[in-house]
Amino acid sequence: MTTIRVSNLHFSYQEDFEVLKEINVEFDHRSTAIIGQNGAGKTTFVKLLKGLLLPTQGDIWIKDYNTKENTVAFLAQHIGLVFQNPNDQIFKSNVLDEVSFGPCNIGFDQKTATEKAKDALQMVGLLDKQNLNPYDLTLSERKLVSIASIVAMDTDILIFDEPTIAQDFVGREKVKQIIKDLIRKGKLVITIIHDMDFVAETFDRAIVFYNGNILLDGDTREVFSHKEELKKAYLEPPHVTQLANRLGIDKVFLNDEELTNYLKNIELKPQA
Amino acid sequence: MKHLIVENLKYCYPLAKDLALKGVSFEVDKGEFIGVIGSNGSGKSTLCQALVGLVPNFYKGAYGGKVIACGMEVAKSEVAEIATKVGLVFQNPFTQITGSKLTVYEEIAFGLENIGIERSEMKCRIEHALDLLGISKFKDKNPFDLSGGQMQRLAIAGIIAMEPDVIVLDEPTSQLDPQGSEEVFQAVQNLSQEGMTVIMVEHKIEKIAAYADKVLLLSDGELVDFNTPKKIFSRSDLDEYGVSPPVYTKIAKNLHITDKLGLYPVTIEEFSQYSGQGREKL
Amino acid sequence: MRSLSLYQQGDSILHKLDPLTKILYIVVALALPSITASVKVSIACIISGLLLITFAKVLKNMVPIVSFSTIVILTIFIIQGMFYYANENVLFTLGPMTFYREGMLYALKIGLRIYNIITSVSLLVLTTRPSDLIEALVRKGLSPKIGYVLSSILQIIPQMTSMMNTITDAQRARGMETEGSLLVRMKAFIPLLGPMVMSSLVGTRERAMALEVRAFSSSRKKTFLNKPMESAQSTIWRVVLLIILIGAVIWRVTS
Ligand SMILES: Nc1ncnc2c1ncn2[C@@H]1O[C@H](COP(=O)(O)OP(=O)(O)OP(=O)(O)O)[C@@H](O)[C@H]1O
Ligand SMILES: Nc1ncnc2c1ncn2[C@@H]1O[C@H](COP(=O)(O)OP(=O)(O)OP(=O)(O)O)[C@@H](O)[C@H]1O
Ligand SMILES: [Mg+2]
Ligand SMILES: [Mg+2]
Repeated sequence: MTTIRVSNLHFSYQEDFEVLKEINVEFDHRSTAIIGQNGAGKTTFVKLLKGLLLPTQGDIWIKDYNTKENTVAFLAQHIGLVFQNPNDQIFKSNVLDEVSFGPCNIGFDQKTATEKAKDALQMVGLLDKQNLNPYDLTLSERKLVSIASIVAMDTDILIFDEPTIAQDFVGREKVKQIIKDLIRKGKLVITIIHDMDFVAETFDRAIVFYNGNILLDGDTREVFSHKEELKKAYLEPPHVTQLANRLGIDKVFLNDEELTNYLKNIELKPQA
Repeated sequence: MKHLIVENLKYCYPLAKDLALKGVSFEVDKGEFIGVIGSNGSGKSTLCQALVGLVPNFYKGAYGGKVIACGMEVAKSEVAEIATKVGLVFQNPFTQITGSKLTVYEEIAFGLENIGIERSEMKCRIEHALDLLGISKFKDKNPFDLSGGQMQRLAIAGIIAMEPDVIVLDEPTSQLDPQGSEEVFQAVQNLSQEGMTVIMVEHKIEKIAAYADKVLLLSDGELVDFNTPKKIFSRSDLDEYGVSPPVYTKIAKNLHITDKLGLYPVTIEEFSQYSGQGREKL
Repeated sequence: MRSLSLYQQGDSILHKLDPLTKILYIVVALALPSITASVKVSIACIISGLLLITFAKVLKNMVPIVSFSTIVILTIFIIQGMFYYANENVLFTLGPMTFYREGMLYALKIGLRIYNIITSVSLLVLTTRPSDLIEALVRKGLSPKIGYVLSSILQIIPQMTSMMNTITDAQRARGMETEGSLLVRMKAFIPLLGPMVMSSLVGTRERAMALEVRAFSSSRKKTFLNKPMESAQSTIWRVVLLIILIGAVIWRVTS
């Protein structure tokens, strides 16, 4: 099933410079990572999907709704976006209000909205801070609040723009778990992220942006096997794959378990 | 020569119940590259701000102990004077643009104008910083029209150009692409080899293990350990502090690969050395 | 977030002229009519301003400013023409409204003064980057802090606009209708005010810290990236302007 269709998309902020050029891509149920160099156009692309920006040329359909013909508020019932900068997203003076704002707007009654908000806060581990002012939270907590605000809306499509900013190891695992839960519930999750290990551990599909265009698109394992293209796009394979390659094993490994098991079988011994 | 001396530093934010720093002491030599790690809320950013005097001068709050940076006791000095010796790159790149300059180029000049650098020298330094951070292409762009990663690069460039004796970086690569992070680590390492003292907070453990001379582990406002990456990441109790070792170390632990002293490899190089024998079998 | 400015890029001599000379021009252009108390001089000042603006190729950017002030001036003509306290001689009547000569003359004077202010100030504003103006003042001893405050004031409206756009995006991204009829937009606007105040307060603290670590209030002597814009040409302009000014004063005193 196709949930998002992008056809012949072009976009520029200023006339003299095209940020996205001729993008054609479809998203189905597969969880997808969008990766690429700083300034490649990733954030711009997801803002277009969300309807916050409109194509200078081409069309985007979210389910069957063209983003040009529907308001952002309407599309919000179907697609949620966690902004790259949490400060751009948060505007209420109370954490719980902030998180229940979305569900309230897209038609849940107050009680259900509050429930959903509390569930989402529980999920990110901030339920005990529900009555604080978001501005009194640290950056990592604000990022989690912005994630909870979108998860609470329970849309079919969720986009995360660099969800692990400022997260420590525990926070990173928490975000990973949240994404995996959403995937398991059958949602389409699209995530922009610079952490290649996270990509390998979490997503089925990876799309590499390069200079406003799609350079690679495929199964994560397959994408990480294209060493040359990755290099060109300022990326690198996951650390485990790098290690394997250093050891002379020319295969893609997606997590430490895979590599550990592989190495166990060929018996590595420390130098005497 | 000691560039930084922190003595029993205690600090409590105004209105906060708990101390954010609970008696932290350590010393750093000129030219050392120190990685600071610890879980969210462990006090890393507070420590960074204490090194440049924003804590306590800016926040007020209860302060105890001493920070001496390049011979200045920071609590008794003006932040703007400390800033000529100790530079700080904040955690959030979006809030460090001065807002009074219209282009990336001028934005970098801001600090240099304030410390009275000659025009020709200023241009030289700006060009160098732009180059180092890979943002020369955007030098005429409005700073607010940059992507997240580009803005973070600009924030770093603005401080590096001031050529402080000590540079404190609070998660400076959180929004950078993989090669960009690598370049920043390399650039910072070069600076430290040229004699600049570096304090860098990072969650990118593999990079800290590869680049830092020493690692400072913070937990709940206390200094748990201050040692070489190898010693720190070979600890078996890292979990308790919400920190994970580099993936190389994790795999080595699973496979029981250690050096003669029983320490685990923490970088890709060390791993491939230690497992050298095994590799021949492949 | 751009700066609130009517500045138009260009490379005319006026664009390259230093801001202080342009300020001197404003002073002279405003002082001359008062010193000489002559309507002709007023008109001459306006014309010279317009010529310079045309020369700088920014005349069309004056249209909105002029049309706005024309509305103001028209109301002045109507009010003063009918109700000026010294009104005596009827000039003409228009239906039920009677206009008097004294009032109309008085309104003409005010009108000319307004146009004079507008043309001379436009000359500065349309051809000078605000940051250059502030920098020029700081070089002349204005405290950098006041300079920063001035430049922040210039940015208040664009900053508010960009902040408003940011919050609007945050709201509509989460399902609040902000597009459509005026009523919908008004409804969306009011809840914006709280967050805007909030985020500008928090922003101010973070901004202040960001400035301090860049040694903003350092007591060292500041330098400037840009060369001072003053040139030999500025000196000529300034001398000419001063001669005109002094000439006018002498003329006034002797006659
Ligand atoms: N408001 C804007 N006005 C003009 N140019 C912009 C604007 N926002 C972004 N750009 C430019 O568009 C390009 C793409 O930006 P975008 O934010 O989409 O990058 P990105 O891939 O998300 O990068 P990052 O990984 O750094 O977040 C960049 O070169 C950036 O400088
Ligand atoms: N401005 C503030 N006012 C009050 N308390 C604060 C303030 N800033 C931080 N704190 C508190 O001080 C403690 C240390 O915070 P700090 O930001 O130094 O942690 P951190 O290690 O940098 O975390 P992170 O990894 O999330 O950046 C936390 O408990 C935090 O809630
Ligand atoms: Mg981005
Ligand atoms: Mg921090």
